Amino acid sequence: MIKLENLHKNFGKLEVLKGISTNIQDGEVVAIIGPSGSGKSTLLRCINLLEVPTDGRIMINGQDITDKGTNIMKVRQDVGMVFQHFHLFPHKTVLQNLTYAPMKVKGVSKSEAEKTGLELLEKVGLSAKAYEYPNRLSGGQKQRVAIARALAMNPDVMLFDEPTSALDPEMVKEVLDVMKNLAHTGMTMAIVTHEMGFAREVADRVLFLDGGVLVEDSSPKEFFSKPKSERARDFLQKML
Amino acid sequence: MNLDFQQFIPSLPYILKGIGVTLQIVFMAGILGFVLGIILSFFKISRFKLLGWIADAYTSVFRGTPLVLQLMLIYYGSPQLIGYKIDPSTAAVLSFGLNSAAYISEIIRAGILAVDKGQSEAAMALGVPYRPAMMDIILPQAMKNILPALMNEFITLTKESAIVTVIGVTDVMRRAYIVGGEKFSYFEPILIAGLIYYIMVMILTVLGKGIERRMRRSD
Repeated sequence: MIKLENLHKNFGKLEVLKGISTNIQDGEVVAIIGPSGSGKSTLLRCINLLEVPTDGRIMINGQDITDKGTNIMKVRQDVGMVFQHFHLFPHKTVLQNLTYAPMKVKGVSKSEAEKTGLELLEKVGLSAKAYEYPNRLSGGQKQRVAIARALAMNPDVMLFDEPTSALDPEMVKEVLDVMKNLAHTGMTMAIVTHEMGFAREVADRVLFLDGGVLVEDSSPKEFFSKPKSERARDFLQKML
Repeated sequence: MNLDFQQFIPSLPYILKGIGVTLQIVFMAGILGFVLGIILSFFKISRFKLLGWIADAYTSVFRGTPLVLQLMLIYYGSPQLIGYKIDPSTAAVLSFGLNSAAYISEIIRAGILAVDKGQSEAAMALGVPYRPAMMDIILPQAMKNILPALMNEFITLTKESAIVTVIGVTDVMRRAYIVGGEKFSYFEPILIAGLIYYIMVMILTVLGKGIERRMRRSD
């Protein structure tokens, strides 16, 4: 359903993505891994056009989102995103964080949005925090709220940009558990992560990026047991 | 030093009436400055370079020349500009409003830019268009940075409004001066005026602190 064709991204003279091509199928969970600076976050941010590709095409459900005539806002409504640093709205309560976009963008009624919001909070185990402000939550709780906020828009795809990198170690598991549950519901997910154990267990496919190039595109089993490239072997040795 | 406040007691109501005049000018100029300041600050953060350039030029001129000069320019220049002399208090509101717009636009611009970039990205990622994202997400957070500085600007405006004396508006300052002239004793009435300004500023300060506290509730 997501099709990347020869994707390029430059920041000034710096070439961050040097022609990435791959597909992500419906319901597939793809882990994007690689050393820092390899372009994995940029790749993810291109999929909801937070970064505009310099060249190449991105097709979502057959629609070319890099086309000039595309309504970017409409695309983003169907592509949820979770950030490393959560970016919850600090002046809104947890529930308001969840209801804001559906009400504003999709015109969902307040009662409906709150009903959905509370259901989602229950799914991420945070019903008790619905009327708190985000600053009263721990990092792990904030990230679970951020996941619920993205889900409140009922997206077709979820993008995760290093969702556990800013968390204290003891909070990583609660977020990964929520993501695991989400993967089991059949959600299409693309996850930039350094959690190798999680990638191996949950992902259907691993993309290994290095220097803006897609070096490996394989199953986790294959990737973690016998990586094809020298660079992936190097990387895994340092990680594990 | 022989201070005789007694003789000024009958003139007190006259001086105190100036508070209304002062407040009216400050209030109207504050609103004008705030509205214009918002518009200018949006010019400054706009993608359209020309708008930014206009707003920067505006700020540069109004910050680069004395306020009293701007006041006199508008008051005495009006007959040549629009064919008739405008009311002194109108001239005061105009010049103070235009002047503080320059400062307020800088305050708001800085306040908006100080909001974490992740906030607008999060709004964008949810498909929220620019305008509602600005109104509902960025500005409410920017207000926390903006408000204390804005309160300062209004305090400055309250004090600086005393210069309307030079074009004959009967504000607190002017009235104190007139009363002094009647009794051939300026020291006491001007001290009284000073006390009045100080109390007004203190009230504004307390008000500002209160609003600031309210805004910090979610921190």
